[in-house]
Amino acid sequence: MRLAYFPGCKIPFYMKDYGASFEALMLRLGIELVKLPFHCCGYPAGNDDFLTSMYCAIKNLAVAQQHDLDIITPCKCCFGQFKHAIHRYHQNLELKDDIDHLLDSENLSWAGKTKVKHLLSFLYHDVGVGELKKEITNPIEGKKLVVQYGCHALRPFSITRFDHPYTPKIFEELVQVTGIQTVEWPKSTECCGNPVADTNRALSLKILKSKFKSASEAGADYICSACTHCQIQYEIPGYDSTIDTFGVRPVLYTHVLGAALGIESSLSTQGSTGLFG
Amino acid sequence: MFEALLYVSIFICLIGLVFQIWRFKRTSSFLKHPKASRLRSELMTIIPGFLNTLVQVRLFKAGKIRWLIHFGLFVGFLYLLLVHGLHDLTSDLFFDYYEPTIDPYQFLRNLNGVFVGLGCIAFLLRRRLKIRINKDTPLKYKGYFSIILILLVISSGFLLEASKIISEPVFMDMVEEYSDVDEESGLADLKLYWNHNFKVYFPQLPEVTSSSLENGSFLNEEYCLSCHSDTKSAFLSFQAAKLIYYAGDFLNRHRADSFLYAIHYILCLCLLACLPFSRLFHIILIPVAGLVKKQDSVLHGQKKAVVSAAGLYACTNCGYCSEVCSVYPHFQTTGNLFVLPHSKIESVKGLIGGDAGINPWLLQKGNEICTGCYNCTDICPSGIDLQTLWSVLGDTLCEEGYLSNSNVVNTIPLLEWAAKAPVSLKRKEKKPVSSGLADQSDAFEACVQCTICTNVCPVVEYDSVKNDYTPQQVMNLLRLGQRHVAEGTRMVHTCLTCYSCQEVCPQKIPVTDILLELRNSGYKKVETMKKDYLKGMRQIET
Repeated sequence: MRLAYFPGCKIPFYMKDYGASFEALMLRLGIELVKLPFHCCGYPAGNDDFLTSMYCAIKNLAVAQQHDLDIITPCKCCFGQFKHAIHRYHQNLELKDDIDHLLDSENLSWAGKTKVKHLLSFLYHDVGVGELKKEITNPIEGKKLVVQYGCHALRPFSITRFDHPYTPKIFEELVQVTGIQTVEWPKSTECCGNPVADTNRALSLKILKSKFKSASEAGADYICSACTHCQIQYEIPGYDSTIDTFGVRPVLYTHVLGAALGIESSLSTQGSTGLFG
Repeated sequence: MFEALLYVSIFICLIGLVFQIWRFKRTSSFLKHPKASRLRSELMTIIPGFLNTLVQVRLFKAGKIRWLIHFGLFVGFLYLLLVHGLHDLTSDLFFDYYEPTIDPYQFLRNLNGVFVGLGCIAFLLRRRLKIRINKDTPLKYKGYFSIILILLVISSGFLLEASKIISEPVFMDMVEEYSDVDEESGLADLKLYWNHNFKVYFPQLPEVTSSSLENGSFLNEEYCLSCHSDTKSAFLSFQAAKLIYYAGDFLNRHRADSFLYAIHYILCLCLLACLPFSRLFHIILIPVAGLVKKQDSVLHGQKKAVVSAAGLYACTNCGYCSEVCSVYPHFQTTGNLFVLPHSKIESVKGLIGGDAGINPWLLQKGNEICTGCYNCTDICPSGIDLQTLWSVLGDTLCEEGYLSNSNVVNTIPLLEWAAKAPVSLKRKEKKPVSSGLADQSDAFEACVQCTICTNVCPVVEYDSVKNDYTPQQVMNLLRLGQRHVAEGTRMVHTCLTCYSCQEVCPQKIPVTDILLELRNSGYKKVETMKKDYLKGMRQIET
């Protein structure tokens, strides 16, 4: 199976670990990732300008369509942005006109058929938990994880169709495949605080602290995320000693599953979040 | 006289170097921002920098055709400089026996000249035809000067060689100096042979006979061959000689070869003198810039960012960075040239030089959009640490009072906003597209003020001191026709876009989408208020 790999803007520099482990995971599962000349998904521009934000996303879809590929991304903000843009493109005719016009100037067009998958939804729906279970070679035991669902993939359900918005389960199931125990966490579906990390640092840190605190109270060793922006937010503790005292560490899902599948590069990572070594 | 000119050009070149170093010092103070902590630069190992200088590894990665042209030009130029230009100094070092007029040197000089000439023409064509990115991104410094200068040096060189090939005076000088051939021992035969085979022009020549040619050939072997290969191996000059042969009488009489020699020599000196002032200076700057190279991203650490001033000027405006820029679509929709890296680097240079034509607000806006995707830094053939530069630029502009929309709006209390912000914006063109929810009463009028959205809002929960209105109250402002006020609320500008409110709304109101739309239009109003804001801030300071 071939898919266009959409890393998003933060992976190539700020989250190299995530990109590398994601690619290793896909390789192990026999998925061929194709790298295309993608732009920003448009999520950051959402604050400023609606058209720019939507155009960015649709342009990427048009590029994928040129190669007749669907898109897979490990970032939930990119995923949500794509879903929003697809929804609006079909619903808002004025927007569609403007975007088509812009695409035309680049000799592109989009027929509206390109699908966008997130890492988790792809594993759950296209690969399947049962298939994944057969592949596990190094089950991991004795760790407790809570999962961070990530707002932009989860909500609004009517647009993203990711999982049940109040009681999601696919992330937990995908973690449990590896033998790890997941624990109930009331803040599992709440925001990580990253969207205001630049504009309102105090609020962002306050949200983050409460998340670590409650994860610690829930008895977790790790907070597991499958989103570039969430992970960037959770890696702040490495630099903030007051949060470190909760004794909870962030971990990327690609590292967890990678370790359970026996992918060597997942066992020892160069980043600060290496685990299961 | 030539020697005096040489010293003058060396002197100008040195002055230029000193000037550049002085300029770097001034630039460095701009480029070292203590707060720019997101990135860290370190000294890189010498080897990659050396490789990049010698074979332009980075350019090869960026574009194969452009590399081929550039590398041909580079090798040709290097050969001509070392073996031909400086042969007094270098020939003993490299070769046992060197004469520019024997093969393979005669042939190689032409070949390398062709490489350089073709390279220059290709560069000019590219700039002229505005291929790809340059199509819609005008450049201030096009870099024509040094390319044209090199092209002139090369073409004057070819012409010089051609004029020497046909020159009778040069031939006679040589005969006198290196042989004892005279009229009696067959000078006419030698002339005939050289005219016949090597295209030297003589006004009067005897009839060609096989015996005279044979004698000429013998004399040629005896006296000339050790220093003179067949001029045909100087393939381009030979063709040029064939062309100017018909004007040979005139050219020889006026000693065109001496004239062209002077031209060629002076042009070379011009090149030397202009080196530090022209785009050509990149041959020195890129290796220097290559020494400083980013190693790591430091997300939240407190490391000082360093941008090498040489890096800033090593930019050759090739435009690769803008071709791969992640936020290129922003340039398409907003038309703000400062979104694109190659234009930003130009404007940073302008800002340091005190160019009043640069609008810092636009630059701030363009730079703010950068997502730090690293594409530009990764592809830059000059190896400039662009990623760090943007970070430093952002912090510097912020320090000077050119704040982002969100920073400005957070300092304006809601009452002041309601009084000062323009209620509606004058538009020259059509209204920008939006999700169109905040103007559609259908979208929000069903709100029953049940407070469910407020109860799930993380901003309300964690920012209770500073936050003003809750989501449900913002909806109510819209219902009261107070969209203008709603656009200035903290709620709108702090919303995390987590979509919790929208998901739980029993009335199916797209609360988050409405908040985002209000933020968009609020920002557009802030744009118009920024200048007054900065003026106010400066008044308070003084």
